[in-house]
Amino acid sequence: MADFGADEPSCTSESPEPEERASEDRSLLHQRLAIRELIDTEVSYLHMLRLCASDIRGRLQQLPPGDLDVLFSNIDDIIQVSGRFLQGLQETACHGEEEQARLIGNLFLEFQEEFEQVYKIYCANYDQALLLVKAYQKDPELQKSIQGIIEAAVPQAGPSGLSFLLVIPLQRITKFPLLLQKILENTPMDASAHPVLQRATSALQDVNSSINEYKMRKEVALKYTKVEQLSLRERLARINTHTLSKKTTRLSQLLKQEAGLVPRTEDKEFDDLEERFQWVSLCVTELKSNVAAYMDNLEAFLCFRPHEWIVDIPGGPAEQYCSLAKDLHLEALLQFKQRLKGLVWEPLCSLARALAGPRNLIKKRLDKLLDFERVEEKLLDVGSVTYEEQAARHTYQALNSLLVAELPRFNQLVTQWLGQILRTFVVLQKELAEEALRRAESSVALLPHHHIPEPDFQKLLEHTLDQNSGQLRSFQENFEKVLPPPTTQPLLPGSEYQLQALLTRYAPGKLYQVTSNISGTATLDLTLPRGQIVAVLQNKDTKGNNSRWLVDTGGHRGYVPAGKLQPYHHTLPRERELRGQTGVHEDYWLPPPEPTQPSVPTVPTTAQVVAVYPFVARSTHELSLQAGQPVTILEAQDKKGNPEWSLVEVNGHRGYVPSNFLARTPSPTPWGWSLSS
Amino acid sequence: MKKSTDADLAMSKSAVKISLDLLSNPLCEQDQDFLDMVTALDTAMKRMDAFNQEKVNQIQKTVIEPLKKFGSVFPSLNMAVKRREQALQDYRRLQAKVEKYEEKEKTGPVLAKLHQAREELRPVREDFEAKNKQLLDEMPRFYGSRLDYFQPSFESLIRAQVVYYSEMHKIFGDLTQQLDQPGHSDEQRERENEAKLSELRALSIVADD
Repeated sequence: MADFGADEPSCTSESPEPEERASEDRSLLHQRLAIRELIDTEVSYLHMLRLCASDIRGRLQQLPPGDLDVLFSNIDDIIQVSGRFLQGLQETACHGEEEQARLIGNLFLEFQEEFEQVYKIYCANYDQALLLVKAYQKDPELQKSIQGIIEAAVPQAGPSGLSFLLVIPLQRITKFPLLLQKILENTPMDASAHPVLQRATSALQDVNSSINEYKMRKEVALKYTKVEQLSLRERLARINTHTLSKKTTRLSQLLKQEAGLVPRTEDKEFDDLEERFQWVSLCVTELKSNVAAYMDNLEAFLCFRPHEWIVDIPGGPAEQYCSLAKDLHLEALLQFKQRLKGLVWEPLCSLARALAGPRNLIKKRLDKLLDFERVEEKLLDVGSVTYEEQAARHTYQALNSLLVAELPRFNQLVTQWLGQILRTFVVLQKELAEEALRRAESSVALLPHHHIPEPDFQKLLEHTLDQNSGQLRSFQENFEKVLPPPTTQPLLPGSEYQLQALLTRYAPGKLYQVTSNISGTATLDLTLPRGQIVAVLQNKDTKGNNSRWLVDTGGHRGYVPAGKLQPYHHTLPRERELRGQTGVHEDYWLPPPEPTQPSVPTVPTTAQVVAVYPFVARSTHELSLQAGQPVTILEAQDKKGNPEWSLVEVNGHRGYVPSNFLARTPSPTPWGWSLSS
Repeated sequence: MKKSTDADLAMSKSAVKISLDLLSNPLCEQDQDFLDMVTALDTAMKRMDAFNQEKVNQIQKTVIEPLKKFGSVFPSLNMAVKRREQALQDYRRLQAKVEKYEEKEKTGPVLAKLHQAREELRPVREDFEAKNKQLLDEMPRFYGSRLDYFQPSFESLIRAQVVYYSEMHKIFGDLTQQLDQPGHSDEQRERENEAKLSELRALSIVADD
């Protein structure tokens, strides 16, 4: 420590007047004192800090650790910085006096940056710490124990205890400029230390103001960034005269601007920033909603699980497809979905949430701008403003500077992050494709046709599909073959003859069989037994009644109810439908089946009949028959037109046989015609 | 199956929309890198969509249509079965009638009626047996043919997937090369995200969650 009494500054040129000398001495003395004070107070300050940090904090165990962090925030950092600062200070003591002052000035300049950083945080946090302390004070138990601990360590803390301790760093940093000022005052103008000290003083004052500003910004940000979810009732409750007046003045200001009465403060820089911010936030919201849609569709896609449906088709490609689809669904796609969620969706959500703060602030800034403008106006008019108005000015300025300072960084960060997210998305897709490809390729290798390149495979596939569809068609036709309804009732004995007669005159399509006994009541009605064959002449009567048909029985004509008639079908031979399958296939491509084309049911001209009774031919024109022998009728009458004889063919022989000896029966082999035409 | 393909298409379309909207954002005008990246992403997405459409068409042709055709045979089959049922009923009815006559005393009219009933029964029985046999033959054959019928469909499904995914892989592989993103693991990416988030939060204008 410099011995202030002994050293005299080396004076240049002429020796000063004794009074001046005396005053110089005095000022030097003061300087020394001030420097000493600086160093001493620094020492005690550091000591106190260390006490706080280690002892007291260590003993305040009953408080939750989060609270401790809030209370003491970055006191460790402060301790560190101050420690180094003190060391520097103490080193300066070894040098000469003038040197010392200059060195001290330099030291301050060196540490300016660090001080600002460290104290900024502490000061900004200080308010919250105070709030906590107040909360503790409400609890008498807690308060007493805290008080006890503090008094044990730091007796001079007094009843205010914790708050006393916490305010110490604040006091220190604000003291620096004052101490420096004192040193500066007592340093002669021409000393080399003077300019340095001057710079140091102003530097420290800058530090203080920037700390203040930072604190204000933080306060403002905290106040306005929270998006408040208020219910309608709460909103209504908040309306009071103050807010109403605020809002109305703002509104009037806005209207004045719109009307052009008042110039609007244009802040180009801010507007640019805001515009960019809007784009960025638009980008984020759009991306988020699109990704949401994508994920929804992915979910929907995953809902359909083909591998669970395909049952009962063992072996071969079907199984492979089953397992492939299962793999894909359960592993690859699921993994993709999860990664997508974690690496793309959630960051997007956080981003979107982060946007809310700045958005709010921008909105508020606009409001405050209106206030500010009004206040400026008033300032111009009146020259002074009230305290509240001044406060409004400051708020606006704080908000503005905060936004201007931080929005660019924000925009940049968000853009970068967006880029990163997009890249991640792409990479995820790529990896999904890799994974799926790996599995699919291993599956394909097991397929029988894997060696065939793709276009050839396509052709082969088309060919096979055509074949298969042809085969299906044949199946379909098979199933659609309608066997005739077996309602051909056996003919009444003796009606064969009648049938023949009818057949000669009418087309077989007009033949109907009576299903139940008809007893005619009206004048032209017929009475017919069941099984009688009649030919329909008209399917309505003279009055237009569709349910009474005019029929011909071969002898009589009359009306019968249509409901008791049923179409009478002849037995018709048909080609047996060929089935397409051959026996053994080498590979599973089936040979094409024979085309089965049923013809439109036409009325055949030959009828399959059976001889019922044996007949012995008595001349060459006649033919012998055996009972039950199937014959083919060539003509139903002989050369003279006599219907009693029929020309038949049996086993290649032709001849006449009595018509009565013949009966029509259904062919024993299955036959039928197709319903589709 | 159809819905699955529809969902697939929808997914692809929404992916394209992502890149399309991004491109339309004015942010792209400012930042050249961003613009390049988004343009590349957009082209990739559009190509993917085209491939997806192709894949779906292929599946449509080779799987869905044959499926439909196969299914359309079933109504005819059902009808044939119904007709057999009907024939069975008639057969039973007439059979019962015949038996009833047989139990009665053998008098003249009864005998005549019995004979008539038997005559009626015969064609009905034959008809039923014919139908039965037909179905018994055809149905197993039809059912068995599905194995061979569907095999090409499944093959084609698998191959379509292969084609699609190989294209997808190629496209996105190129894209990642272009965008110059080194291969990170998932944890690395998460950490990067966290870092960015905390940087954002450090700004005081961002509210803390």
